[in-house]
Amino acid sequence: MRRLATFPLVLLGVSIVVFLAIRMVPGDSITAMLGTEAGLLTPQQRDALAAYFGIDQPWFIQYWRWLLGLFQGNLGISSTYGRPVLGVILERFPLTLELALLSMIIALLVGMPAGIFAATHNEKLSDLGVRVVAMIGQSTPNFVLALLIIYTLSAGFGVLPAMGEFSPIWQDPLRNIGQLLLPAVTLGFAFAASVTRISRSAMLDVLSDDYVRTARSKGVSARGVIWRHALPNALIPVVTLSGIEFGYLLGGAVIVEQIYALPGLGRMVLDAILQRDYALVQGSVLFIAFNFMIVNLIVDLAYVALDPRIRLSEH
Amino acid sequence: MATLRAIFAHPSGRIGGAIVALYLLLAALGMLGLTPHNPLMQHRVERLHAPDSTYWMGTDLFGRDVASRLMTGISQSFTVAFFSVAFATVAGTVFGLAAAWFGRRWDGLVMRIMDVLLAFPAILLALLIVAVAGPGTWTSIVAIAIVYTPIFTRVVRGPALSLKTREFVDAARTFGSSSSYIVTRHLLLNLVAPLTVQVTLALAWALLTEAGLSFLGLGTQPPAASLGLMLSDSRNLMETAPWLMIFPGVAIMISILGFNLLGDALRDVLDPKMRRSIA
Amino acid sequence: MVRHIGKKLLSGMTLAAMLGIAAAPVQASRATLHMAWSQDATGLDPHKQTAFSSLRLLELIYEPLVRLDANLQIVPAIADSWQFSPDGKELSFKLNPKAKFQNGAAVTSADVKASFERILDEKTGAAARANFLSIASIDTPDPATVVFHLSQPDVPILTAMSDVNAAIVPASEITAGSIGTTSIGSGPFKLEKWDPNSKEVLVANKDWAGGATGVDSIEISVLPDETAILAAMRTKQIDFALLNDPLVATLVPKEASLQLNRVPVLAYHVLQLNPSRKPMTELKVRQAISCAIDRQEVLDTASLGEGKVTGPLTIPALATDPSQLFCYKRDVEKAKQLMAEAGYADGFSATVIGATGEPPTAAAEAQVIQSQLAEIGVKLDIKMMELNVYVDAWLQGDFDMAVALNGGRADPYTMYNRYWTKTGNLQKVANYIDDTLDSLMQKGRTETDPAARKTIFADFEKHITEMSPWIWLYTSYSYTAQQKNIGGFEPVPTGSLFSLAKVTIQ
Repeated sequence: MRRLATFPLVLLGVSIVVFLAIRMVPGDSITAMLGTEAGLLTPQQRDALAAYFGIDQPWFIQYWRWLLGLFQGNLGISSTYGRPVLGVILERFPLTLELALLSMIIALLVGMPAGIFAATHNEKLSDLGVRVVAMIGQSTPNFVLALLIIYTLSAGFGVLPAMGEFSPIWQDPLRNIGQLLLPAVTLGFAFAASVTRISRSAMLDVLSDDYVRTARSKGVSARGVIWRHALPNALIPVVTLSGIEFGYLLGGAVIVEQIYALPGLGRMVLDAILQRDYALVQGSVLFIAFNFMIVNLIVDLAYVALDPRIRLSEH
Repeated sequence: MATLRAIFAHPSGRIGGAIVALYLLLAALGMLGLTPHNPLMQHRVERLHAPDSTYWMGTDLFGRDVASRLMTGISQSFTVAFFSVAFATVAGTVFGLAAAWFGRRWDGLVMRIMDVLLAFPAILLALLIVAVAGPGTWTSIVAIAIVYTPIFTRVVRGPALSLKTREFVDAARTFGSSSSYIVTRHLLLNLVAPLTVQVTLALAWALLTEAGLSFLGLGTQPPAASLGLMLSDSRNLMETAPWLMIFPGVAIMISILGFNLLGDALRDVLDPKMRRSIA
Repeated sequence: MVRHIGKKLLSGMTLAAMLGIAAAPVQASRATLHMAWSQDATGLDPHKQTAFSSLRLLELIYEPLVRLDANLQIVPAIADSWQFSPDGKELSFKLNPKAKFQNGAAVTSADVKASFERILDEKTGAAARANFLSIASIDTPDPATVVFHLSQPDVPILTAMSDVNAAIVPASEITAGSIGTTSIGSGPFKLEKWDPNSKEVLVANKDWAGGATGVDSIEISVLPDETAILAAMRTKQIDFALLNDPLVATLVPKEASLQLNRVPVLAYHVLQLNPSRKPMTELKVRQAISCAIDRQEVLDTASLGEGKVTGPLTIPALATDPSQLFCYKRDVEKAKQLMAEAGYADGFSATVIGATGEPPTAAAEAQVIQSQLAEIGVKLDIKMMELNVYVDAWLQGDFDMAVALNGGRADPYTMYNRYWTKTGNLQKVANYIDDTLDSLMQKGRTETDPAARKTIFADFEKHITEMSPWIWLYTSYSYTAQQKNIGGFEPVPTGSLFSLAKVTIQ
């Protein structure tokens, strides 16, 4: 697995880019804490606070310090949480992972059959129906969908999942699913719509392919053609798309987490950026990047499994 | 020309083409200022006015005509969506093909750079660009384009890897075709199908991402309108003035329907396999 | 399966069951107030935190020497009584003998001394330090008495001491360097758990000198979306909430089971001009802008009329009738004439900056102002920025104009000396000062007679609105929403939630 060997290099690249980027944006930890009151500080007070936040040195020294810490397994201390960054991230990650998995399951369970159905009923009325629903899913911003769901449930039915305190699945599975179901549906709706479109298109594409037509002319049943020949090939773009979407979701779903008040990674990163919690931004982006690479690795392995003709160059 | 005629012969192409043409017309009218009212004029006594014969789609918090703002909003949103997706498509196709074709180290390098980009929070990116260049239309375009380039790269690379090993490419190679000929002639043409679908998806995403950026104050700057900004401004008025959410929402939906139908038609028309099967 | 369930059956209860939602009944044995807000505290050091939400939390945990009541009168907190010496240069406090920290130790004069020394120490980085520079030394004749020796008479210092930024913390914690990581105050509630940007759990402090609290604990959830807060209140998950956006707050009275509390606050919405930039350097241009703006209309549009047009003095006891101030009645003709006299008959272009969502009305205010100024030929370009980027530009005075919501104080000197004195720390933001303003502020600081102070600040207000370095617009409300079975909450103009200590659930 030569691929794994490249991971540290990519992570190093990510860390430098993020380190510089967050420092180039105007405002710092001091203005984030004090707002306009920061103007009341004397230069000495400002220096004292800068030393407190560890932003008193030139950036390359700060980076070097951070890197040294990293090799000792220390991602730094978050200035908002006052705790080690890794602990904060790992606390938020299970929710994000669960939400991403749940959304993907919903998306694949709905999207794949819908896409295949539409493809096999090409240009018929039912195909059009599926496409229109997929189109609505694709074009509804998730904050609109989330607000509509919350409004309808609370004003119309007087119920709402428990907001505020989040229960991890190992503590209270029922409450946990109750809290995650609506956010997962919100995210899954758009995701399913994309899966539907991609799988419909891929399926149509494969169905017109020579070998499928050959198989058909040899008398293999329509159902058999779809399941044995067409589907594995049509899966490639679906896998690509799902991999990307899943990778994105692992980075957190900011708006949905905001509206449903879920303490996930997305909100954490946004808050960390807005509060200029440098250590937390660096640590979490690094963590998200690592997840992306793992997901991509799995996606690439899936290509090989689906289409034996592909040989990853590294092998 | 033949392609254009073929699109019009295609049923979804006709509907999709008509929708897109209608939007382009509305956008052009909006840009030229040929709107029912001045989209920036604040009729303050008629704030949050429900739709009627004067204000076909009602008025907003400032008493501005929603219908007129929708027209200028379409031109703004389309500009952002078209340019950002165009940049992302071109860059993504080039990177994806390069990665698939050259393989080995190039593949690794390109895809790892894409990983870096994908992992980078879009908000941080937008904040950074805004800090350097100031907020506005081009900031949104660049930010969205950078976010989607890795996606296009992956979308192109996957099928390209698969196509590279297919018989017809091998055949072309044995006939002594040059690499560049094979890439452009065979690979690219066969990528049209997944690409067009991805482009239509991305156009939808771009419209919505622009809403997200506007929501954070990083996209279209007020008082200009974009469909996304209108939607995100409407969220806390959803119960008081639902038309503020409904009209831009429906406008986005129909435009995406138009893109999708046109995309499907394009796919059918351009896809060499389809052409063969039609012929 | 679902197909067989009739639509009617799909009532709230079934839905609730399907979603696995617990109805969360209020337990009688242990009264917990479920509270929500959209922005969380950003830290726990009472001397360093200045964010609105941090102060609201810290006011429940820590206590200053004195407090402000609903009429902004100074009332006892840790100190039972206080007295200025006749020359106004000595301020002594008698501490409440019952006052105790949450670690069981009594609050003594040594803690008070250590706390103020910490605030004055430049290494602490306390923003409130600027209010206490007149403190020359602190004496502790006995454990219950503190005497502040001032370098000059300083009337506003007492009001400044009512702020939680001047909270008394244990001297032992200062020595240990644990202020901000632990939170040991003397207030009505103890912080049991804090999960930043997610939730806080406060439990009643049984030893609180102020007596028993009305509830046993308060659970604060951070629900970043205010529409979601309203939804959670509809379903009775949340008993009490803090709201910022008037668009959401105005929906509360439409719900039969909910009550909206609103109170005019001291903070003011303002259009800050930058008089160091052309053409705002010209008095007549600034005055023209003041005359061209219809403040009531800005208020009506951006905040749905929720508020009151105001001059610089937002403190009810000192405020004058705003209609008497310069150009508080819109006069476009006069504005055009002033522009012509200043040599800008054709207008000019400028940029106005604002922070996204801070306040939620910023973008709307900028747009109304833009449209009003267009009538006198001023072409405004709006730039909305992320809060920190905005603060950075604001502190450097790097703007032509800025829409802002600036915090108010119960004393006009404490509120404005940072901007409108020659030595003000924020002179580089205000960029305007003249001798009249400076001398009025200095007089107001040392004058002890309330009636004379009122006249001084009335003159200040009249003069500054005429000079128009800033265009004061309006004050809005601080909103809290509650279920109707919650009793005893008393909103105050500082926005403090301190009266949650006496709130009961019926």
